[in-house]
Amino acid sequence: MAHGNLLTFGRGGIHPDTHKERTAGRPIEPLTPPPSEVWLPLVQHLGDPASPIVAKGDRVVRGQKIAEGVGTGVPIHATITGKVKPLDKRPHPTLVSCPAIIIAGSGEDEELAFPEDPDWRALDRAESLARIKEAGVVGLGGAAFPTWRKLDLPPTLSIDTFILNGAECEPYLTSDYRTMLAHPREVVEGALAMARLVGARRLAIGLESDKADAAPPLKAALEEALAASDARGLHGDVQLCEVRYPQGAERQLVTALTGRVVPPRGLPSAVKVVVQNVATALAVHDALRYRKPLLDRVITVTGPGVGTPKNVLAPIGTLLAQLVAFCGGVSDDATRIIAGGPMMGRALPRLDLPVIKGMNGILLLTGRAPFMDGYEACVQCGRCLDACPLGLEPDQTSIRIEANRSLETEPFGALDCYECGACTYVCPSGRPLLQFMQIAKSSLRRARETKVTP
Amino acid sequence: MSDERRFLIGPGPHVRAADSTARIMWTVNATLAPAALWGAYVFGARALLVLFAAVLGAAAAEALATIAFGEGTRGTRGGGRPAPWARLTDGSAVCTGLLLAFTLPPGLPPWMAAAGGAFGILFGKAIFGGLGYNLFNPALVGRAFMLATFPQAMTLSWTAPRAGLGRALDAATTATPLAALREHGVAEALRLAAGTGGGSPWTSLVFGFRPGSIGEVSVVLIALGAAVLLWRRILTPTIPLAVFAGVAATTAFSGAPLLHLLSGGLWIGAFYMATDYVTSPSTRRGQVVFGLVIGALTGIIRLYGGYPEGICYAILLANALVPALNVWFRPRRVALAGAPS
Repeated sequence: MAHGNLLTFGRGGIHPDTHKERTAGRPIEPLTPPPSEVWLPLVQHLGDPASPIVAKGDRVVRGQKIAEGVGTGVPIHATITGKVKPLDKRPHPTLVSCPAIIIAGSGEDEELAFPEDPDWRALDRAESLARIKEAGVVGLGGAAFPTWRKLDLPPTLSIDTFILNGAECEPYLTSDYRTMLAHPREVVEGALAMARLVGARRLAIGLESDKADAAPPLKAALEEALAASDARGLHGDVQLCEVRYPQGAERQLVTALTGRVVPPRGLPSAVKVVVQNVATALAVHDALRYRKPLLDRVITVTGPGVGTPKNVLAPIGTLLAQLVAFCGGVSDDATRIIAGGPMMGRALPRLDLPVIKGMNGILLLTGRAPFMDGYEACVQCGRCLDACPLGLEPDQTSIRIEANRSLETEPFGALDCYECGACTYVCPSGRPLLQFMQIAKSSLRRARETKVTP
Repeated sequence: MSDERRFLIGPGPHVRAADSTARIMWTVNATLAPAALWGAYVFGARALLVLFAAVLGAAAAEALATIAFGEGTRGTRGGGRPAPWARLTDGSAVCTGLLLAFTLPPGLPPWMAAAGGAFGILFGKAIFGGLGYNLFNPALVGRAFMLATFPQAMTLSWTAPRAGLGRALDAATTATPLAALREHGVAEALRLAAGTGGGSPWTSLVFGFRPGSIGEVSVVLIALGAAVLLWRRILTPTIPLAVFAGVAATTAFSGAPLLHLLSGGLWIGAFYMATDYVTSPSTRRGQVVFGLVIGALTGIIRLYGGYPEGICYAILLANALVPALNVWFRPRRVALAGAPS
C-alpha cells in the first residue's frame, strides 16, 4: 500500500508529534565513566530465567558468561569487569523485582577478546542459532523475545521475505536511527544472515521517511554485501514508509512492505514473513562474526525532563540514575520516567533500576500525567474507530466494561488488540481505551480457559 | 548510587492528542459566533436577547443537573460533590443554548427561549445520564418542546431583517420564504427571500438578508464556521454532504430545489446539528445513511408534512436510528479483509 511515493499500512494510525529533533542529530556516545556497579536481572527476555554460573566473590571479566540460558531463555554476560556480589532481588523495570547478578566494578577496562571468525558467512544453521543464543541476543525493539527462537522456525513454515524493521515509529526515540547511521554494514550483514537462516528470498528494509538519510548508506551496504557474498537468489531493497504510528508494529510494517495481512493473533510467519529490528540485526552480526555477546545497547535518553538528551551506548545493567546523570540529570519538574517510547513504553517509579536488554529509550516527561485528569463518558465521536489499525471497536468495548459486561465485548475485537494505544491517544474524553481493551481481553481469555468442555 | 526520587506511574500511552471534548465544544461555539452576531445585526437587539436567554436557560439547567446528578463529573472523582458549574466548562450546554437560539424566530419572547434551553438540557440530555448518553440532539429536543408548547409564538414571531447594510430596522412581522413557498408558491418565496432591500433573492439567501430564524439566515457565515471545523478535523463532510444530497433528491421535482437547499435551517442543521458526535453514527457508512435519511425526511416534511421547515424533526427521527445504524454499519476488520498471498 502506498501514500504518495511512501509505503504504508491500510487503515487507522495516528500522527503524534515525533519530538525526534532532540536527539536525531546526536551520534551515539558511550557512557563515561563506565558504571561502577551493574545489576543483571536473570530475566531480561521472554522465556525461562537464566541460571547463574558464578558465585559471590568471583571475579568476572566483561564479556564472560555469568548465567546459562536454560529452556526457552538466553544466557547473561558480565557487562563490566569486577567482583560478583551476593545474588539478590533487585527492582526490575517490568517485573517489579527479580533476582539479579550484581557486579561491583573494579575499574579495570579489561574485556574478553572476540576475534573475528573468518568463515562466519558460511556457518550452518545449527551453529548460527547456537551463536545467537549463546550471545544472549533478544529482540531489541522492546519485546525481548529470544532471537534464536524467532529464527528457529518449524520446517513446515516457508518464509519468502525477511523484513528489517527500521521504522522506529515511537515518538522521541532515535536509537535505531543512530544505529543505522553508525553501523549500516553490520546491520545489513546481520539482517542478511538472518534472512538466509529463515530461507527468505527478499530482504526488505523499512524506514519511516523521517529517517530517509539512513537509506543511502543502508542501500550501499546492502549492494556491497550482496555482491561480496554469493547472493544465492537473495535480493534486497530499502523502502521508505509514511511517518505514521504504529508503522513499526510488525503487522503494519508487513502490510506496508508486502501488502499482506497477518491474520488476527497470528505471527508474520503465517504470511511467509519474519521481522527483526535493526538493533537486533547488529547484535546478531556481532554474535555470528565475533561470537561477541550482547553487552551494551543504544538507548535514547530524552524528553523535556532531562538536561541534555543523548543517544547513549550503555552497558546492560547500568542504573538509570547514572544513565540520566550522564545526560545532564533529571530536571526538578520531571514527573515521569518512561522506559521505551511514550506510546507503548512503561512508566517507571524510580531511577534505581537497571538498563535491561529490551530498553530502547528512557523518556523523562514533565507535567501532569494524562490519567490524573480522569475521564468522561464516551461521546461516540468515532475517533478511536478511525485510529485503530485493525478496525477494532474500543468505544463499544469500553462502554460494556464500564457496565460490567465484559463477556459481551468479544465481537468488538479485544482479543486481537496488540495494544498500540492509538485509540487512547485520540480520545477527546480522555478515556483509557487501551486499558478497557486489556480488561476485556483478560476477561474473555479467562472465560475461555474456565469453560468446561463436555 | 541511590536516588530517592519517586515518579508517577500510570498506564500508557503517556502522551495524548490535544483535542479534548471541552476544547472541541468551545471551538464549535467560537465558529458559531459570526452567524450569531449576524443574526443580532440583521434582526436587532431582540435577537441578541433571545440568544442570551437560550444560553442562560441551558446553562442554568446544566448547573441544576450537576447539583442533582453530578457525581462522577471529571475532576471531582472521589472528591465529593462537584461545583454546580463543573460541567459548564465543557462548553456543551452553551453549545446547546446557542444552537437552539439559532433555530428560533427573532421576535420570540426571551423567556420562552430560556425555557426551551432548560428543557433541552434537562429532558434532552440530563435524564439520559448527561453528555455522551443522550439519544437525541438536546437543542432540537428544546425546539420540539417549544413548537408544541408555544405554537403561536414559534410560528409567527418572524421579524423583517435589516434591509441591506445600514438601513434602519423595520420591526414589522413577516413570513419566512419557506412558509411562503408552501402557502403561495415560488414567486412569493423569492420575493420574501430578497428581503426588504429589493435586491436579488439569491444573494440575499446566501448572505443572509432574508427573514428566518436568528442563526440560520447567513449561509456564508455558517459555511465559514463549518470550514474552520472541517479544517480542524472536528467535522468530516460526510454527514452534511449526505443531508444536502437527500434534500436535493427529494425536492428535485418540486420546482424549487435550489430554494430548498438555501433556505430554512438546512445549513445550520446539516453542519452543526446532524454532526453532533453523540447523536450521530460513528462510522462513515452509517453517517452516509444517516445524512441521506435526514435530507430525505427534510424534503418530505417540507413538501408533504404539516410544517414549512422539516430539518428539526428529520434530525430527531434520524437520531432514533443511530443505535441501529451503529450496529448495522461497523468498522471493517483489517485482518478479515484481503487474503495473504
